[in-house]
Amino acid sequence: MNPEGAPFPLDLPEVLRTRPLTVGEVTPGRLDDHILAFPARVPPRKWFIALACTASLMTLGLALVGYTFYMGIGVWGNNSPVFWAFGIINFVFWIGIGHAGTLISAILFLFRKRWRNAISRFAEAMTIFAVMVAGMFPLIHVGRPWLAYWLFPYPNQRGIWPNFRSPLLWDVFAVSTYFSVSLLFWYLGLLPDLASLRERTGRGVRKFAYTILSCGWTGATSHWRHYEKAYVLLAGLATGLVLSVHSVVSFDFASSIVPGWHMTIFPPYFVVGAIFAGFAIVLMSLIVARETMDLKHLITDFHLEVMNKVILGMSCLMGYAYVAEGFTAWYSMNPFIQHTFLQYVWGHYGWSGCLTITCNVLLPQLMWFRKCRRSYPWMFLVAIAVTVGMWMERFVIIVVSLHHDYLPSAWHNYRPTLVDLGILAGSFGIFFTLVLLFARLLPMIATSEMKADLPGAQPRHGAIHE
Amino acid sequence: MSETFAVLGLFDNAEALVKAVPGLKALRLGRLEAYTPYPVHGLDDLLGRRRSPLAGMVLVMGILGALTALGFQLWVAAVDYPLVTGGKAPTSWQAFVPIMFEVTVLFASFTAGLGMLHLLNRLPFFGHPVLQSKAIRGITRDRFALALEADEGGAGFDPAAAQAALETAGALEIEWLPAPAREPFLTAVFIQRSLAGIAVACLVSGLIMYGSVQMMPVALPMRHMLDQPRVDPQQPSSFFKDGHSMQLPVAGTVARGFLPPGFTTPEEAGRLVNPLPRTPAVMARGRAAYQTHCVVCHDPLGTGLPSLSAAYGAKPANLHTDAIRGYPDGQIYGTIVLGKNAMPSYAADLSEDDRWAVVHYVRALQRAQNAKAEDFQ
Repeated sequence: MNPEGAPFPLDLPEVLRTRPLTVGEVTPGRLDDHILAFPARVPPRKWFIALACTASLMTLGLALVGYTFYMGIGVWGNNSPVFWAFGIINFVFWIGIGHAGTLISAILFLFRKRWRNAISRFAEAMTIFAVMVAGMFPLIHVGRPWLAYWLFPYPNQRGIWPNFRSPLLWDVFAVSTYFSVSLLFWYLGLLPDLASLRERTGRGVRKFAYTILSCGWTGATSHWRHYEKAYVLLAGLATGLVLSVHSVVSFDFASSIVPGWHMTIFPPYFVVGAIFAGFAIVLMSLIVARETMDLKHLITDFHLEVMNKVILGMSCLMGYAYVAEGFTAWYSMNPFIQHTFLQYVWGHYGWSGCLTITCNVLLPQLMWFRKCRRSYPWMFLVAIAVTVGMWMERFVIIVVSLHHDYLPSAWHNYRPTLVDLGILAGSFGIFFTLVLLFARLLPMIATSEMKADLPGAQPRHGAIHE
Repeated sequence: MSETFAVLGLFDNAEALVKAVPGLKALRLGRLEAYTPYPVHGLDDLLGRRRSPLAGMVLVMGILGALTALGFQLWVAAVDYPLVTGGKAPTSWQAFVPIMFEVTVLFASFTAGLGMLHLLNRLPFFGHPVLQSKAIRGITRDRFALALEADEGGAGFDPAAAQAALETAGALEIEWLPAPAREPFLTAVFIQRSLAGIAVACLVSGLIMYGSVQMMPVALPMRHMLDQPRVDPQQPSSFFKDGHSMQLPVAGTVARGFLPPGFTTPEEAGRLVNPLPRTPAVMARGRAAYQTHCVVCHDPLGTGLPSLSAAYGAKPANLHTDAIRGYPDGQIYGTIVLGKNAMPSYAADLSEDDRWAVVHYVRALQRAQNAKAEDFQ
């Protein structure tokens, strides 16, 4: 501070100044007119075509779920010894997809990464949809879904309680907490935008809905003060939560003695994998959204490049985790664990492990090149590879580990049925249907967060003293 | 004409608003509040708002969440429904940590979210005068408002002076906001309509429920799970030639613990002597076996008067009749093995030692129910 009490009038050189994260001139008013106008507009034809495709997939999936309810889990391929197959693979996969959203909205917020503002809303929405899809699978997989509420500890006439020392029960708590906290976080972030929408909308059902949902938000400074505090606290809590959720999911495996599952690397390995897969899906969806909704000046090439760097970093960590698994197998001197590890890349399902490594570790290395980080075809290739690879990784962990365990007389191969594959396709249908609806019903970009970060949005340091 | 609640001045950017604050604050014309489309750095300190107590609330509720989860899990797993897992002590708490963590986050997050919204900001509230103003459209978009608001009572607020002060401070537009008209909320008509609405909703949902139960048959979900390759009771086996699903033992062999009894009537068994000593351990074993197998018909005291038997019209023996008390030990043993009247054989359910232990226990029951004076000394 100089003697006058104002900060030094520091004139930073160009490279040290915080760069604007938008391209061209973006003003708060124009931002609103662009982003908040989407809900009021009739979507274009290509949106309806896309929705028709995803909704058909969703219908197929739900019909097959109905068929499963009618017939029983027997129509799936699960059987001894592979009792956990597609049901749990899809669960772990979709829960993982959600983690990218929380990483972007919470962890990057704590690290003050300003580029998250443009993509956080979209990623958070994908978190919620992914967790909804994920939650469906254990519910079906319990066998008697209409009794799934037995998982919750409530006083009952049977006089029994669930086993609190079981990782499967931890899962129930982790996933339900994750869903409710994510929903709360997302909704609170939406609140100022809903107030803007309320004021933009004339009469009608939408006005009524926005009025109710925005809770009478006025933007008073006394409200913003608590709001910002709540946001930072929620970001901190969600950070711990997101790390715990996939760790707890990994406990389902790691706390058992199945060869290939019983490893201490599992919790961090699962969390990294989750963020990895989630980033790939968010990236793909973002590319489509920015092209079709004319968002290139808000979600810039810089954003995509940073996301690709995250994907590259996670890919290297995945490579480390695979090596660590191999080391554990070798160092354990346990022939069964070593056998299982070899089965990952060698035996009947060897192709799945090789595909996993190719997609998750080898292909993302392309992202070392700046050209690939900035070109759609390469980005898309890597993102699709990561999505496939991460799904295959869970297949490897679950099916390959289970099909050969400590009892060779029980070894048996697994084959998914058409119902399994149809429900998997349907889960993508449900997810993308929800994403499409979201893109047209709610503001896709957190406008109040963007506005606060535009050049000139905040008073200059010391402005008050002039 | 209602009183004026506030005078609102609009600014075009955050900096102009921030610069206007200190001068207006010094005039003390009323409560100074700013309305902005996004949080403006430093504005809350400038307006002298108190620090948000949210962090403390979240900490307290987080700790409460952890203690709730720990206490509940301990109570369930160690007190109400002890379940030994992995040979751990019932009170081993380490496995409770994941759920403790989740519940902590759950409590803390909802305190942060709903505490901010409801407790601190008093939302949802749809009656705020600013929501009715012309300026709110701009406030939620790209304009910044400073308001001089009347204090709680509204006394001493001078709108004209406030307007002048805001104009001097550089406000581009000025708007007077009337105090919200307070209409009675719980009027008689409102209550009547609400009750009528609830009644209609109950009626309609009840009718829909009745109709759907009447029209739709009970559909058993996942019923094909019942189709399993197994032999159900009373069903012939197509695998074995003799049609039995459970095969008889190979001729001339005896399963361990299932030697032929060596008698054909309970009376014949009377000559057998109870080989077990009358120790507390044997008594406990007999009690356990009796309470598992015998109690449904013979009653905990052996009187033969339980409700289950009454429901089926059977008359189980009262073990305290002179005749049964006169039985030798072996005859009771024989009855357990062979059954009597409606009582089936319990040979398959009770091992030899269990049967003899039950005999001891029945003797103890008989003595307890027919105690003599010297038994009490």
